[in-house]
Amino acid sequence: MAALSEEVLLVLKKVRQRKQDGTLYLMAERIAWGPEGKDRFTVSHLYADIRCQKISPDGKSKIQLQLVLHTGESTTFHFSNDSTALTDRDAAKELLQQLLPKFKKKANKELEEKNRMLQEDPVLFQLYKDLVVSQVISADEFWANRLGDTNHADTSLTNNKQEVGISGAFLADIRPQTDGCNGLRYNLTADIIESIFRTYPTVKQKYCENVPHNLTEKEFWTRFFQSHYFHRDRINTGTQDIFSECAKQDEIGLKSMVVQGVKNPLVNLLSLQDTTLDEGYGGFTTLPSTSNPNRSVKDSSNSAIIKRFNHHSAMVLAAGARKGETPADQGSETNSTDGNSRDSDFFQPPVKKVKLKEAIEYEDLQSENRPKTVALNLKKSDRYAHGPVPLQSQQYTTSQDIINSVNYIQHEMVNYKPNLTQVLSSTTASSAIAALSSGGVLMQAATQQAINQMVPSEVQGELKHLYTAAGELLRHFWSCFPVNTPFLEEKVMKMKSNLERFQVTKLCPFQEKIQRQYLSTNLTGHLEEMLQTAYSKFHVWQTRRMLRKT
Amino acid sequence: MKLNIEGLLVYFPYDYIYPEQYSYMLELKRTLDAKGHGVLEMPSGTGKTISLLSLIVAYQKVFPLEVTKLIYCSRTVPEIEKVVEELRKLMEYYSKQTGESNNFLALALSSRKNLCIHPEVSALRFGKEVDGKCHTLTASYIRAQHHGNPDLPLCRFYEDFDALGRQVPLPAGVYNLDDLKDFGRRKGWCPYYLARYSLMHANIVVYSYHYLLDPKIADLVSKELSKRSVVVFDEAHNIDNVCIDSMSVNITRRTLDRCQTNVDTLQSTIQKIKETDANKLKMEYSRLVEGLKEANVARETDVYLSNPVLPDEILQEAVPGTIRTAEHFVGFLKRFLEYLKSRLRVHHVVQESTPQFLKDVFDKVCIDRKPLRFCAERLQSLLRTLEIADIADFSAVTLISNFATLVSTYSQGFTIIIEPFEDRTPTIANPVLHFSCMDPSIAIKPVFQRFQSVVITSGTLSPLDIYPRILDFRPVTMASFTMTLARTCLCPLIVGRGNDQVTLSSKFETREDFAVIRNYGNLLLEMSAIVPDGIVAFFTSYVYMENIVASWYEQGILENIQRNKLIFIETPDAAETSMALEKYQEACENGRGAILLSVARGKVSEGIDFVHHFGRAVIMFGVPYVYTQSRILKARLEYLRDQFQIKENDFLTFDAMRHAAQCVGRVIRGKTDYGIMVFADKRYARADKRGKLPRWIQEHISDGSLNLTVDETVQLSKHFLRQMAQPFRQEDQLGLSLLTLEQLESEEMLKKISQIAQQT
Repeated sequence: MAALSEEVLLVLKKVRQRKQDGTLYLMAERIAWGPEGKDRFTVSHLYADIRCQKISPDGKSKIQLQLVLHTGESTTFHFSNDSTALTDRDAAKELLQQLLPKFKKKANKELEEKNRMLQEDPVLFQLYKDLVVSQVISADEFWANRLGDTNHADTSLTNNKQEVGISGAFLADIRPQTDGCNGLRYNLTADIIESIFRTYPTVKQKYCENVPHNLTEKEFWTRFFQSHYFHRDRINTGTQDIFSECAKQDEIGLKSMVVQGVKNPLVNLLSLQDTTLDEGYGGFTTLPSTSNPNRSVKDSSNSAIIKRFNHHSAMVLAAGARKGETPADQGSETNSTDGNSRDSDFFQPPVKKVKLKEAIEYEDLQSENRPKTVALNLKKSDRYAHGPVPLQSQQYTTSQDIINSVNYIQHEMVNYKPNLTQVLSSTTASSAIAALSSGGVLMQAATQQAINQMVPSEVQGELKHLYTAAGELLRHFWSCFPVNTPFLEEKVMKMKSNLERFQVTKLCPFQEKIQRQYLSTNLTGHLEEMLQTAYSKFHVWQTRRMLRKT
Repeated sequence: MKLNIEGLLVYFPYDYIYPEQYSYMLELKRTLDAKGHGVLEMPSGTGKTISLLSLIVAYQKVFPLEVTKLIYCSRTVPEIEKVVEELRKLMEYYSKQTGESNNFLALALSSRKNLCIHPEVSALRFGKEVDGKCHTLTASYIRAQHHGNPDLPLCRFYEDFDALGRQVPLPAGVYNLDDLKDFGRRKGWCPYYLARYSLMHANIVVYSYHYLLDPKIADLVSKELSKRSVVVFDEAHNIDNVCIDSMSVNITRRTLDRCQTNVDTLQSTIQKIKETDANKLKMEYSRLVEGLKEANVARETDVYLSNPVLPDEILQEAVPGTIRTAEHFVGFLKRFLEYLKSRLRVHHVVQESTPQFLKDVFDKVCIDRKPLRFCAERLQSLLRTLEIADIADFSAVTLISNFATLVSTYSQGFTIIIEPFEDRTPTIANPVLHFSCMDPSIAIKPVFQRFQSVVITSGTLSPLDIYPRILDFRPVTMASFTMTLARTCLCPLIVGRGNDQVTLSSKFETREDFAVIRNYGNLLLEMSAIVPDGIVAFFTSYVYMENIVASWYEQGILENIQRNKLIFIETPDAAETSMALEKYQEACENGRGAILLSVARGKVSEGIDFVHHFGRAVIMFGVPYVYTQSRILKARLEYLRDQFQIKENDFLTFDAMRHAAQCVGRVIRGKTDYGIMVFADKRYARADKRGKLPRWIQEHISDGSLNLTVDETVQLSKHFLRQMAQPFRQEDQLGLSLLTLEQLESEEMLKKISQIAQQT
């Protein structure tokens, strides 16, 4: 019973699982259930293993709670205490709701990641079995190197996954459902919340400010859905609405975007007209209705909707682009140190030129459709120009050199005269040829190539595993050099012992096995050699260290 | 390639040519040969501009005495710059082929706002401010004062230009707006005045319509252009409205109030000058007595204001005695102003002709016709004498005096309408006096008379015969060219019914109908699910779009559309719309796809192209009729019927269809492009509407696609899109819609080409 030492947060009686009555325990790190009268848990899940919980709809007769695990399995608990079933279930649900995310964040990600890596990579899996399961090195050590690797060097692996954009209709996906008694129910998922936050940073800011000090999460979202902010057609109603500020900030954001203007001069409607007629001239073009100050409420609500749609779309677009492009944008920003409008002028001509060129191009009238190439986009051209320069100058052979040398050789050949007095005798020549032909004395090494025919396949497989395992260990070992921190010192010591252990537990039995099978060839020679190199390196290092210490 | 267009050697800067380009050049050459005017319609994206430029430049090179100058007018600044870039390409090709450097001077001209390089002035945002500020730095009397008072700021760019710039003409070459600015910066010369000065000896000038059509500007800029010029109006489908706008004036109560303060300032300034420098006013008076047309020697920079009437209408005689002294003139203005104020106090709508109005003026305040005619001119002289620097402040009084001059000059083709309130808000008094030009031929007449060849061209000019009628000229060539296509890359569909068989139409009676709005929503929703990248939807008016968007929002249709694409909507604010447009393009670019809801006749429909993936489908919701209840429109329709025998309905339909064609035409910009054109209104199926679409759209509307349901539309679109998604290579086009020189010269092809142009 591990439960003795654990903190029990909640105990619920009369909870059925698989038609068996029992008690549900919610503890600090796991949830467990034991059948009535028995002293052990038949069901026990770490919170970290749980993917999500589901509850039965309100109207249902059975009041249930389902836990879905990462493995895909699920466990259903049925709350059967007549009077308090619902409150029991809700208590459990609430508690789980608070607990799960805590574990989800740290444990799961890693576990899942490890799991995925092992599944995707059979070699790694084998290595894991060889090294960790046989306890050559600890699991943490194994992963420490692996995961660190993927985080640094192998960024392509994890970051290659594209940033998922935001659906344009994420707000529409929150379909309100009537709950039957004059209320509305909105279903929010973590995804939607994230979408809202990413699209509307002001809402996120509000959330951080107010939750949980002033409002609970639920209250916050309730207010959000009630606010005019969510309902775009409603016009400012009251100032007590915490989101009215968001609307104002949005307005400011929108304004600033408008003031910034557009980069592409071809879509800039402001500079489209050349000479506008002076005020007071003009024909029967009726003035746009918005210039009229006394507009009906309906009209302005309509234009509010239109504004909102533009803003919403712009924000969704920006949220998608934000992640990837900010560094680049900042780069260009820093280039133009004085962030006033002049530099936009300064940058404009190239964009304009390009756009104009594009606009007048007829690709089918041109004679050859050259393959489309991606233009090199240099944010900082000077860095490109002064980039890393090769240290040694390369030797170039110009075509003239080649021609010269060819001429020279031709010249040599023309003047070639065999020196007949110093040639080999025919017998020596033929014996030399024989020695160099296959089967000859000098060509014996070539017969060894057929190792795959001489060694049975299971031995080969084993050898392969040994190689990967040894390679892995050696990688760990060599990665410690140069040893410049105490941590590395410790690690190199440990690795050396790991290597020795590997030699004793893995390599030696294999060698014996080979000998038993009378396979004369020295299959493990190279492995041993590698280990020896490592040992000698270690010794060198150790003696040097001793010297330094004394 | 080098082409032989009826004996004329034309350098064409591409290796291939579209058959219709060849045909276009043929027609154009015939027009030039006949020294007459022409109306040519060719789909956009078929290289109209380069064909025009190639032929006219070749003509200029071969017959330098017959055609001395090409004046190319376009509508928007980006269009102007595009034309110049194409010209640059052509000129580069010329010098590459002939091996000699070019002696052609080509330049673009735009307003000061786009050309100014003065650090303070160019930082101003609005064109008017830039003009005003420029004037305060460059006016002749300011410069004269500078001699006595060196602290007075001047524009050093203009000073340098004035000192040196005129001695050596601008070196030959192609100058776009940015090139002019660069050149100006290098030399320290004002690019704007440099360009205006170089206009006279340039071989090719590219600028906007207003420099020829608005008398106020044309008189300043284009007065001395050679008669042996060829004038091209590109994108000319809206030219009649440009003509009308430049001659029409609207006066509100606010204008009058501001005018009142202007007049007061004038009076006090006169008073002041009288005390200090009475001589100045006397000199002006004596000049006016002598009948000098302009009381002062007008300097280039002073002619900021100009007579609003056409040059041939300006009286060549002395200013009448009644308004010769400054005080009298101010008193005269005051009287006229009071009269206008009294007219705006009416409570019912008044419509009258100009003679009626003049008679009333005479009866009420005893103002004759003749002094009114000199009003604009007299005011100019006064402002100059008083040395008023910031003329932008005096825009109100200028407007009133221009109105006075216009109303007393033209007795025909104009109408005066006084409306005490807007139709939509009858309770709020907002009186407006519309002085409205109804005859576009008035403004353009001098252009036709003066220049030997005027070519009107656009992608959408159908029906061709209406333009000569409303602009009142005799063209020697009128032709409409189709687009030869190796694959049908446009797919016009007329949706007449919803899936529930409800008739789809934006006509007034069913406009608010819930079923129609829902079906429109459905159409957009279904299309958004199948069309890749960008969709543009046009509504007939902004109010209509607002209502539909609101009702789609309530019905949850927009939410469903958002699942497929992002939604962007045009707003009346140009800056906001620009941003929405850019975001729209970004969303198309990154693959998310977007929908742009826009308005026919709006800025987007007139100036923005949706090439390739920026517009794979365009949906026209309803027929974009102009707001027919407007009195000005009614007056114009009446005038058209009486003067030109054009039926009201014909004109309205023509106007609606040219805008519809403009909208849908935005989506196809070339033969490698493709797009669906959905006309969502049952009325499009009628022959009188359909027949007014450009031929290149009309010929692809099959009888089967005249009255489709939403579902059928979706099916047809799917099929079309799948076909279009197949790779399309140059070889597929070659010989059909794309020709090499050898193919072009074959007998058979020449015969085919002769059929492309449809003469009317």
